[in-house]
Parts: sequence; structure tokens; C-alpha cells
Amino acid sequence: MSSASSNPEIGRKQGPVLEVRGLRKTYGSGDRELTVLKEIDLQLAAGDTCAIIGPSGSGKTTLLGLCAGLDDASAGSVLLDGQAVEALSQDARAALRNRLVGFVFQNFQLIPTLTALENVLVPLELRGETGRRKDAEAILGDVGLSKRLGHYPLQLSGGEQQRVALARAFIHRPKILFADEPTGNLDAETSAPIVDMLFRLNREAGTALVLVTHDPGLAAKARRVIKMGAGTIISEEENGAL
Amino acid sequence: MAHSEMNSALPRNPIAALLHPWTWRMAWRDSRSQRARLVIFSLAIVAGVAALVSIHSLKESVQQGINTQAKSLLGSDLMVSSREPIRDEDAAKLNRYATRSSRETSLSSMMFFPSTNGARLVQVRAIDGAFPFYGKVKTEPAGAWQKIQQEKGVLLEPALLDQFRVKVGDTVKLGSAELPILGVVTDPAPQSSRFSGFAPEVYLGRNQLEATGLMGVASMSTHLMQLKLPAGTDAVALKKKLQEDFADAPWRLETPEDRQQNLGDALDNFQRFLAIIALAALVLGAIGVAGAVHAHINKRVPVIAILRCLGCPGNVAFGIYLIQAAVLGLIGALLGAAVGIGLQVSVLTFFAGDLPFEIPIAPQWGVVLQTTAAGFGVCCGFALIPLLKIRRISPAATLRGGAMLAGRNWLAATPVYLLLAGLLVLLSIPGDSNWKRALAMVAGLAGAFLVLLLVAKCLTWLSRKLVRPSWPYLLRQGISNLHRPHNQTVLFLLSLGLGTFLLVTILLTGNLLKGKLSVSQLAESPNLYLIDVQPDQEPGVREVVKNQGLPVLESAPMVTMRIASIRGIPVQDLLKEKKVPRWLARREFRSTFRTELNSTETLMDGEWKTQRDGADAPAPVSLEEGIAKDLGVKVGDSITMDVQGVPIETQVTSIRQVDWSKFNLNFFMVFTPDVLADAPGFHVVTTKAPDAAASGNLQRELVRGFPNVTAIDLAVVLETIRKIVDGISQVISVLAGFTLLAAIPILTGTFLNGRDLRVRESVLLRTLGASARQVRIILLIEYAALGFLSAVTGLALAVGANAVLATRVFKASPWPDFWILAAAFAVTTGLSILGGILLGRGVNKTSPLEILRSGV
Repeated sequence: MSSASSNPEIGRKQGPVLEVRGLRKTYGSGDRELTVLKEIDLQLAAGDTCAIIGPSGSGKTTLLGLCAGLDDASAGSVLLDGQAVEALSQDARAALRNRLVGFVFQNFQLIPTLTALENVLVPLELRGETGRRKDAEAILGDVGLSKRLGHYPLQLSGGEQQRVALARAFIHRPKILFADEPTGNLDAETSAPIVDMLFRLNREAGTALVLVTHDPGLAAKARRVIKMGAGTIISEEENGAL
Repeated sequence: MAHSEMNSALPRNPIAALLHPWTWRMAWRDSRSQRARLVIFSLAIVAGVAALVSIHSLKESVQQGINTQAKSLLGSDLMVSSREPIRDEDAAKLNRYATRSSRETSLSSMMFFPSTNGARLVQVRAIDGAFPFYGKVKTEPAGAWQKIQQEKGVLLEPALLDQFRVKVGDTVKLGSAELPILGVVTDPAPQSSRFSGFAPEVYLGRNQLEATGLMGVASMSTHLMQLKLPAGTDAVALKKKLQEDFADAPWRLETPEDRQQNLGDALDNFQRFLAIIALAALVLGAIGVAGAVHAHINKRVPVIAILRCLGCPGNVAFGIYLIQAAVLGLIGALLGAAVGIGLQVSVLTFFAGDLPFEIPIAPQWGVVLQTTAAGFGVCCGFALIPLLKIRRISPAATLRGGAMLAGRNWLAATPVYLLLAGLLVLLSIPGDSNWKRALAMVAGLAGAFLVLLLVAKCLTWLSRKLVRPSWPYLLRQGISNLHRPHNQTVLFLLSLGLGTFLLVTILLTGNLLKGKLSVSQLAESPNLYLIDVQPDQEPGVREVVKNQGLPVLESAPMVTMRIASIRGIPVQDLLKEKKVPRWLARREFRSTFRTELNSTETLMDGEWKTQRDGADAPAPVSLEEGIAKDLGVKVGDSITMDVQGVPIETQVTSIRQVDWSKFNLNFFMVFTPDVLADAPGFHVVTTKAPDAAASGNLQRELVRGFPNVTAIDLAVVLETIRKIVDGISQVISVLAGFTLLAAIPILTGTFLNGRDLRVRESVLLRTLGASARQVRIILLIEYAALGFLSAVTGLALAVGANAVLATRVFKASPWPDFWILAAAFAVTTGLSILGGILLGRGVNKTSPLEILRSGV
């Protein structure tokens, strides 16, 4: 198993792929206002890996959603590859995600009406790239699903669904991949090869990786580990020295 | 920042997004696991469009039937009538426009019955040609109508045979000619006007008139020329042209449209009812579609969130589901059109024998095309309401489960609602020529929508406030479902409440219309008019009528008069300036005096006066609204009447609407008794004879004691009208039944919307240990509460709408039929409860693991 992924020098020279400044997220208003994130600052270089850990309700998933432009911050700024996400329309954000971002979710989030192959092809089809079926078949082969191309998500096990999700996340070679508890729904035996694949693809594609996890073992594989509590960053450590 | 560089290849422009192949491919792929549900959505459209197509097709068929019926009431496409003989050169000119023509001369004359030594004033109708061109004259023996064109002889009304105890084959004397009775007329030839004569009709060939010698002495003959025009000729336009071309000819021209208007309130009301029913069917279908699409989109929220997360533009996501809705809508609309045609043809075939109209049993293709397109358009329009919410689905829904469609953004949705309202108004106008009424109907719908929304919001608020921890758990759970997040209270009340409102309004309106048209009401109309009853004879005539066992229905004094001037301007001057129609200025009005309005009159304007305000004050007169319009007068205007040489200054004090369809004694002008009591005149007494024999007996008795009294028998005319209104009444029942079809999509949509969420919740409860009975009771309480409130609100709105329609449109009693309300309440609440029970059964049959794993 590889240790923490590290080729961030190139990224540092190119500028951060993700930059978060003074990020704040509140829900409700007046007396019923609830602040779930406050004053978050964060930078991530291209190819770098970062794990976000912390107890439930500490704001990990909210931070990931804001970084990926899935939700609107109450204050602060998120720059993806130099683009201020909050300045973009929803469609422009969607286009930015399609170009730069990959996702892996705890509950896989495959489209149930599409086969494994079709699910993987969606990011390419959305950017108008046709004729990439071979690439999709190759990457599915890479994750060990060459014989499951025509299966629907409900016909696949949890581990297989997550491998399809991995293939979908990497098919368009994103600059950054957000993974929300990628092994949260899987047992240890199924998780191990998924984690290996995640970091292997990260290395091969030079993709920056943001992992939200409760699993210290998984977090230890990232170069940086950010610990969150009550909506703020409590600590930040490097090289698995948690 | 160069946004264009970040654009994905999929277009953001809504039209381009809609046309992009990937949008279509994804629409197809996305439908894979949803096809059963989408078929239900499609069925919703099938039902809506089927109802719409069948109602409009039937409306068109019935309209054609009515047009044909109106033609058969006139007997031709255009009738020219004149007090002076129509010159041969003019007749030749008229013939150029016609494919066939017929001429008639009619006059009043005494007819002698030598066998019984009796005599009677009759209306002689001497006809040539193959008149009538529409409809049939029925005679006994059959074929006698054609016989009078070839043989010497006459046809009589049955009552005359009874009255003078003569039979077919006996001889009568008309003028100087002795003519055999060739038969009796059971269904008469169309008359030149409703009361064309004050005497029984006698028919003979026009070529025999000369032999009677009547034309030489009769100065009061009427000359008619009936034209059958080539197919497709616009009779109304030709009438206008002839009026211009023959401006100096003293002719009156009449088309079937004029005759149709004369059928009275019955047809007007029928047309208005059709307009309401068609709009209701359209809206019912559309609400069902909106509900079904909402349910579908709600289930697709996670997929849409994933697509948005992966970079799918909002318009492409919107396009995927718009395509699904449009394609399925189109298939549904086409299937609906086929079902609608089937229904229309089946109903016409089934009722063909019972209807007095000759209705063409064939699809109305033009109507089918129009209504299918309109139904498809409106359904797609209503589908936009949930579809537009797709753009508001956040990609963040991928991070947290259980995301559903966001609530209404009223401000953003306002243009859509306005567009739909505009579309409905546009579609309503062809159904009802009065655009204000069409606008009012759509406004009424919008009002009902807002009331239901308000009630739903109140119920949500109330259920939140009312529920107490001390309540039994199941009751608490059932009621709390009404206000919890993603509750279905608003959607349920809007769809089921609006559906109940529309359907019950249709049923109530149909019922009141049928009541208004009922044969029993017409049965109370008089069918025998006794005229020329001198004031001192009136008690005696009443006595004779009563002695025959017949009722005296009405007795009214009648005074003849002419108009001398209007607002001080002599009528001759008004005539020169063409400010009043010629016939009106020359008309001899038969007016009455009384102190009360009768049952067929409604005061429209001014005040009903019972006496003159003072000795020097002008005489108060109440005008019928049509005549007031023709004269161009309103309340307060002065009219000088010439009452048999004596000028009387009058002032219009009120305007009345008169329902002429009832055949009661009605008058254009009604005075107060103090004005006309001493004027020379006579009485008209009306009664109703059950059959021709009773009518004959009464007329015989009257001749003995009161030889000057003339009896006018309207039994045959009334029977024709009775057949027409009876037919209309039956068609109304069928059409009201059709709208029930359109309720199917509403029910489907409503239950689909709540189903998924309730199934998941109920399965969780089952997983946590709730018994099947407990789950059923919770669902039962929720659906009973929703059904009860939908029914009560819908019924309250329907009662209000019925009252407005009854008083403002149909001029009928606003009181609804209690049994319709009771049945509608039971059905609405019952169906809602049934839905809850079925859902409960579904939950108990579904494996919890299946639900929990599929993440419904």
C-alpha cells in the first residue's frame, strides 16, 4: 500500500487548484440562525491529497459541498483553479465541475436507470465528447468491472457500485476529486482495494484529492490531514503524523 | 473571467438544450425504470383528452343537429315573406341563388263543413314545390302531403276533425271551391313565424287557390318564397346582400339562425353549459397531468442532483423531463383522441333513436384536431409548473439524502400561471362568444384555486397548533402528517379540492339546467289560446273551460296600439333617419295591463310600477328588453302611444327579460291598470288540453255560447319544442357524465404524489415495530382528514359557483340539489380514504428491506 501521495511541488508552482478564504455557512435567520462553518481558510495544490476528519456535525460534508460549488456560502470565497465559484451562475459552476472536478460519494450516487458503462460515460457526454466508449470500458476494466459493463446499479454490490463511481470520477481526468466518506458504506475487506484504486488513480492522473472521512487509516494515506470541530479547523498536520 | 471557456459542450440555451441529441438520449435512458409510472401519467392525459375530445365532438355534433333542427323549423335556408305578392321577376332573381325553391300564399278565411253545418276561421296555406327542404311533414294517411300537389283536396289539423265531427274523405267548402279532405297533418309544415295564424291550419296545393276565388277578395294574404341554397352558402351573408339589393321591397328575410334564436333560452343555456363543461374538462385533465408530472419529478430529484453535480446545465436537465412529458403527452393525447372519438360515436349511436335531432354519427375531425392540440398544449402548460422546479434542484442534494422538489416560488411561477390563465381564456372564448363570461369563468377558477390554497395553508397551520402530546399516538401521527416537511396537504387540497369543485359545479349546473328544461315545466305551459274574449264574456268563457275539466291558466286583457313618437320625435321622422326598424314603427302592439310580474319575467332595470305617479304624470310602461333595444330606449325615456286614436304619453319605468320559450302570455309592453282599464280591448284566456279530443270538445262548446271567440291550438308546436328540450336534457346528462372521466387523472396524480414518501415512512415504522394495523390507521387518519377537507371546500366552492351561474347566467334557482352534494361528499371522502387503505395494504405487502435498499 502506498504511503501519502506527494507531488505537490508542481502544483505549488502552478498555483493552488483549490483556495478557500474566510468561508462561512449559516442556516436560518435571527434567533434561529445556526452557523455550521466559520472562517475556514484552506489551500490545496495540484496533485496534493488532503483528508478532512472530525466528528459528525463538525461541518466536513458542508465544507466539501461548498468547495465543489454544490452549495452557496454565506460569506467567504472558494477558488477552483483560480475561478471564484461564488461569482458564477449555477450553470457556469456545473460547467466548471464538469471540467475540473470529480466526485465519489458515500452512497455512490450512480444514476439507477443507466448501466455501469453509461454512468461512466456521463461526464464525457456532458462535455460533448462522443466516441470515448473504449476509454470508459478501459477504466472500468482498470477497476475490475470489465464483465459488468451492461449492469444496472441495483444489479451491482456496494463495492462494485463504488468502483463504477471511481471510474466515473476519473474518466474525464479532473484536476481535483472530492470524496465524501468513499468507504463509509463498505466493509474493510471491500474498502481496501477501493482506497488503493483511489490513490493510484490520483497519482496517475495528477488529481488533487479531498477526502472527507471518519476512518483514521484512510486519512493517514493523505499528505495533509485537517481536523474539524464545531465548524472550524482545529488542527492541520502533514504526512500522516496524526 | 471568460465564462464561455468554461461552457460544457451541452448548450445552456433552452431551445438548443431541448434539441440536443444527448437530452433526448438521456430522456429515453431515464425512463427505463419509470415506464410503468410514466404510463400512468400518459393515461392521465388519455383520460383528460378523451373527455375533452368527446365533449367538444359531441358539442359539434349536437350543434350540427341543432342547426339542422333549426333548418327544419324554417324548412329552408332562407325565407322571404311579404304582405305583397312577390313579383315573378323578383322570384326569378331569387331563384338564381337557390338550387330549389317553393312558394306559398297564406290567408285567413272561413271554412264550411257541409256535413255538420259548421264553420270555422282557418289559416289557409297554399304551397307549391317540394317544401319543406329540411324536416318532414307527417300526415295520416302517409303520403297525403305529396298528394295535395297533384290532387284537388285539403289537409286539416286533427282538432278540426274532432271539433266538426268530420273524417278523411268528407268534403269541406273553402271560398267557392268544394274540396275533399285528403288527410290530417300530425307534424305540420314549418310556419312562417311562431304564431303565424290565429286559427287552425288548412293546406292545399298553390295551384288550387285560384279555384277558391279567395285571392280576389282577400287583402290580408302573406306571400312566402322558400329557398334551398347550394351547400356551403352563407345564408346570413346572402340575407344581408338581398336586403341591400332589394332595399325597396317590403320583404322580411329569415334564416335558420334567426329561427334558432327564436328557440328561446333553452339553446342559449345549452351552449353556455357546454362552454363551462369543456373548460372544466380541460382544467380537470390539466390538474391531473400537473400532479402526475410533479410525482414523477419528485422521484427523479436525486438523479437530477447527480446530473447537476456532474456538470449538466439546468436547461438540459429541464429539457430531459420536458421531452419525457411532451412525448408521453403526445402519445397520451393521440390515444385520448382515439378514445374520445370512440366515446362520441358510441354515445351518438346509443342515443340515436331517442334524440329528436338528426345528428351525424361520424367523427368531427376538425374538432378532434383542434381539441387534441388544445388539450396537449394545456396539459404541457400545466406540466411546466412542476417541471420548472427542476432548475431549482441543488446539486448539494447528492450529499444529503431525502431531497425532494422545493416548494412553490410564487414570484417566479407567476408568469407561468398568467400564461396558463391566458391560454384558458383563449380556449374558452370559442366556447362562449361572450368574452367577459369566458374571462369570468377563468377568474372564478383562479379564485377557487386561491381559496383552496388558503384552506390548505390554514389546515397546515392548524394541525401544527392543535396536536397535543396527550393525544393517542396514532391520531397524533396521522394529523401531524398534515404539517410535517414535504407534507402533501397543499397538493392534495389543490388537486382533489379543485377536482371536486369542478365536477360538482358541472353536476349542479347540469341539474339546474335540466330542471329548467324539464318537460314537466313545459307541460304546465298553455297549449290552447282563446282570443277575442270580450271583457263581459271573460267570466263565461272561464266557466266553459272549467266545465270541460280544463284549467284556466291565464287570463289577460289586451289592448292594441301603435307607437306615435319616441322622446318627442315622431316615428315617421325616426324611420327616415333609420333610427328604428321599419317593422317596429309600423307594428300594431298588443299590450296588457297588470300589477305583477309573471313567472317568466325578470326585472332587469328600473322599477316595477303598479300605478301612475300622479294624474298629470306620464303613464308608466314596462318594456321587454329586446324591444327596448330595437327602439333604442332606456328607463326614463318617453314614448307616445297611439291607443286607437287616443295619444297617451308614457315613460319607460322598467325593462323586463322575458323567457318566451314557455309559451305563457307575454307582452312587449305592460301598463298599469289605471292607464288602460277603460281602453277598448279584449281578453286572452289560456288553458291546457291533454289531447286533440279535449281541445275539440272545448272549441265546440265555445262556438255555441261565444261564436266570436277564436281558439288557437298550439299542441303540435309545443310537442315539437318538448322533443327538442327533452333531447337537449339527455345530451346534458351524457356530457356531465363524460367530465367524470377527466377526474381519473386527478385521482391518479394526487395519490402518486403522496405515495412514495408515505410508503418510505410507513416501512420505517414497520421496521421499528409498528403493526400493519397501526400503519393503516395512521394513513387512514391522514387521508380521511385530507379527503374531508377537500370535499367540504370543493363543495362549498361549487355551491357558490352554482349560485352565481344560476342567477347570473342561467336565470334559475340558485339552490343546489342536496343529494348531489351528499353523494359528492361521500364519494370524495370515500375515495380519499380508499386511497389511504390501498396505500396501507401496499406498505404491508412491500418488503422493508426492498424499500430501504432502493432508497425510494
